[in-house]
Amino acid sequence: MIRLQNVNKYYYRGEEREVHALKEINLEIKKGEFSLLSGPSGCGKTTLLNAIGALDSIDSGEIYLDDMEISSLSEDARTRLRLNEMGFVFQAYNLIPVLNVEENIGFIMKLRGFDEDVIKARVQELASLLEIDTKLSSLPSTLSGGQQQRVAVARAVAPKPKIILADEPTANLDSKNSKTLMDMMRSLNEKEGISVLFASHDEYVMRYVRRIIEMNDGAIVAK
Amino acid sequence: MFFLALKNILFYKGRSITTFALTFFSTFSFIVYVAMMDGSHNSILHNALKVYVGAIEIYEKGYREIGGNEYLLYNVHKKEEILKNIEGVSSFTSRYETYGLLSSDEYSSAAMVVGINPTKEVQHSQLKNALILGEYLDGSANNCLYVGSDLAKRLHVKLDSKVSFIGSASDNSFAADIFKVCGMFKTGAYEFDSSSAFIDRGYFDTLMLSEDMASYIHVNVTDLSDVDLIQQKIQAALDDPKLEVLTWKTLMASMVEAMKVDSIFGYISISLFFVVIFFVIMIFSFINASSRLREFGTLRAIGLSSANINVLLFYEIFILSTLAIILAAPLGAYVAYYFNANPIIIEGMSETYKEYGIVSDELPLSFDLFTIAWNVGIVYLLNFLSILYPMRFINRFKPLEALKHV
Ligand SMILES: Nc1ncnc2c1ncn2[C@@H]1O[C@H](COP(=O)(O)OP(=O)(O)O)[C@@H](O)[C@H]1O
Ligand SMILES: [Mg+2]
Repeated sequence: MIRLQNVNKYYYRGEEREVHALKEINLEIKKGEFSLLSGPSGCGKTTLLNAIGALDSIDSGEIYLDDMEISSLSEDARTRLRLNEMGFVFQAYNLIPVLNVEENIGFIMKLRGFDEDVIKARVQELASLLEIDTKLSSLPSTLSGGQQQRVAVARAVAPKPKIILADEPTANLDSKNSKTLMDMMRSLNEKEGISVLFASHDEYVMRYVRRIIEMNDGAIVAK
Repeated sequence: MFFLALKNILFYKGRSITTFALTFFSTFSFIVYVAMMDGSHNSILHNALKVYVGAIEIYEKGYREIGGNEYLLYNVHKKEEILKNIEGVSSFTSRYETYGLLSSDEYSSAAMVVGINPTKEVQHSQLKNALILGEYLDGSANNCLYVGSDLAKRLHVKLDSKVSFIGSASDNSFAADIFKVCGMFKTGAYEFDSSSAFIDRGYFDTLMLSEDMASYIHVNVTDLSDVDLIQQKIQAALDDPKLEVLTWKTLMASMVEAMKVDSIFGYISISLFFVVIFFVIMIFSFINASSRLREFGTLRAIGLSSANINVLLFYEIFILSTLAIILAAPLGAYVAYYFNANPIIIEGMSETYKEYGIVSDELPLSFDLFTIAWNVGIVYLLNFLSILYPMRFINRFKPLEALKHV
């Protein structure tokens, strides 16, 4: 489903000193995978995840989503691609503060033009699965971190995107909440066949995933 | 997007209330300020028209620039016959103005002495209403003089005093006579009250040898807004290149100019006020936008385009300003309307501003829907302009940069 060929990325700091953040990355991620980019801090996990999510550009190589090369798309096309094909879960939850839980979960579906009825049913379904159905009319700021991150997962999963990209989703959570979140994400993966790619160095995440892609210093060292 | 904008407005209360209140306040005060300015200009004009100047006046070319007996109008009766048949002309009268020396026993003053038809004049000026002492001219062609109050003061004359006149008749021969003060008037226009005196033409014409002559013909029209059209009709009907038919706009050019200048100063001062309001609204929008950078980053990351974000911000300001304007515009319009029908009375205003020709203490506001509409338009425009910079600021960030912002 996702295929990377000889992907390189550099960060330029001033004139001369550049960081070779991704080195000749070749990688394939299949549909339904529940996998993890792991490695020490600064090894390039986030950079790779953002490249796959069409959030960031690369300097050479190709990234295919199904049969479409996405790294060379225009900014507008990449925006549409993110809306229609990708789901994002961030370390800091990043919910929309003015919308309540129900509206947050349904937000992307609404942007994509789903019917109100369909949205409502889907929100209900996910909320009970993620055990936040009693909080539907609360604002995000009144929720605990664990609950907020589950809302964020529900928002990303709701429109059934091709892949969920989750960058350090447990970094702000305690161990109990981390376990609950990973439990629920894994059962979503099993039930709905949604592909998830994590970037994390958290052992809880490592325990739950089925595939670990080991990175070091911008390169993949083991798949 | 509209829904999200609404939610944002309810959530970010500080910014919403400030924007709403400022927009409300500026719309309201803008409407009232302009209504007041236009209102005072209108009343100055109307006062001036009422007092002495005509909607249209007909001259021999040269009279106004050069003056003197060479440029008097002749065959006035014939011209008046023509005027009778022109549609839109409601009435007319001719005046014979001359400058001469008026003297009492001990004092003298140069003055404009005007021969008028007292009965007709009533429809053309406020002279009769400006009476403060004695009597207006009774139409019996006697030597009664109707004197401006300030001129009477200069000459130190009372009712029934004798005033001698020395001047030059229409054929440039020497003219002198003795008049009797029968009445005094005060229009409030000092220039006018201190230098003019009126006398019945029936008497004056024999002295000045000015039968069937006039300085000009003074014409009233049924509808002041048609004045240009009627002027053209008169010009065509008289069909004499030596005549000029002038409307009040030309006759009072200096006053019209002065009011334009006054309007410009008015607009400058109100635009300073608007610049301040505009910047405050912009600063609040900007602070709000920059505090929401991470939110905008999230929205961009999950698939909103920068155009979507602009639409969101546009909706926010649109809702806020529309709400404020919907409340403020009718209120401002009502105030303008109310004080149009019930003019504000400023005690002593006519006394203070008489040199500008204000002859009453009433200041009606102008009520004009078109003016209100463009006032509202400007407030809208400024509000929309005020979010351009915040929009630019947000769109300078790439989604990832905005996301990292805390
Ligand atoms: N915006 C940036 N500008 C410059 N260098 C960056 C930027 N983002 C990341 N880097 C560098 O790229 C490398 C990879 O970073 P990152 O992908 O964030 O690593 P990880 O997510 O594995 O911790 C690091 O050396 C980091 O310092
Ligand atoms: Mg990282």
